[in-house]
Amino acid sequence: MSLPRQTDTLLIRRIRSGEAEAWNELIARFEGRLLAFICSRVRDRAAAEDVVQETFIGFLTSLPNYDARRSLEGYLFSIAAHKLTDHLRREGRRPTLPLVPGGSESSSNWEPPGSARAASSIVRSGERRGLEENALAAAIDGQLAHWRKRGDWQKIECVELLFVRGWANKEAAAHLGISEQAVANHKFEFLAKLRSAVHKQELPEEVFPELYDE
Amino acid sequence: MPKPIRQSDLDAYLDEALPSEEMARVEQALRNDPELRERVATINGRRDAGVHSLGEIWRRHRLSCPSREQLGSYLLEALPDEAADYVTFHLEVVGCRHCRANLTDLEQQEAEAPHEVETRRRKYFQSSVGHLRRR
Repeated sequence: MSLPRQTDTLLIRRIRSGEAEAWNELIARFEGRLLAFICSRVRDRAAAEDVVQETFIGFLTSLPNYDARRSLEGYLFSIAAHKLTDHLRREGRRPTLPLVPGGSESSSNWEPPGSARAASSIVRSGERRGLEENALAAAIDGQLAHWRKRGDWQKIECVELLFVRGWANKEAAAHLGISEQAVANHKFEFLAKLRSAVHKQELPEEVFPELYDE
Repeated sequence: MPKPIRQSDLDAYLDEALPSEEMARVEQALRNDPELRERVATINGRRDAGVHSLGEIWRRHRLSCPSREQLGSYLLEALPDEAADYVTFHLEVVGCRHCRANLTDLEQQEAEAPHEVETRRRKYFQSSVGHLRRR
């Protein structure tokens, strides 16, 4: 799990106190990877460097809202992704997309698939959503760490294909060279652990529909 | 037959998290397909309603990403075989853009002329330092 390192925490503290040398250090540490990230989508090197520049300015202007518990690299990449999206829209490469189904102005009629509960009844504060997300992230992280320790790399690859890339059981089985039953077993084991974590922490089940879709 | 665009592809597309060639493929399809745009709107609606997606949380928290140090060891072929195989899977099959960017950066560090790096960093610093809040 990408957690803030102590050196990052100290660096942020120095930048927050206005230390220019610390800001220089942050640039030196992260600009290369940010530029590589942008260059994978923007071939014009000068334009890519401009997006990185906007990312650093965006970081400083959003610094009062930065949660120091969050990974610094992850935060910088998320700003870079926003700046990149803006750039691609300006260039006409990225289409403007509707925010809600049917072009409606409101999303209040949206309901999670397979749930009888109206979305309005699960509307929570941003803080509450953050707690739910962090709890599930910790549960996933715990299970991955357990498998890593046991050398169960195939299980990690299997659930990553299913839940991150959205592959069907059959495709994952073919890629990993295992039976569909084995894929189903890995999936079942993974979801059972996550459901147990959701239950233990008394989190609302309906905001995690994938855990109960089977 | 073109590869179908999955829900998870659209989810990752919105977060600028698909491999770059797939980003371009989804972008192209979105321009021409109103049904696909509707599916994206549904995802936005789900996000607005605060319903979580496992893939989204996994990606955002980078739960299976190797550390930069591990990527360095991977380049030097110093990782144990199974861990190295997993990194290859994560880069090539999952197509993690953040890890790919880290790896490219590590590779380029050797190749790039120091004065070019210095010039670029100075430009970033000078254009942004005015936003540093002094206390």
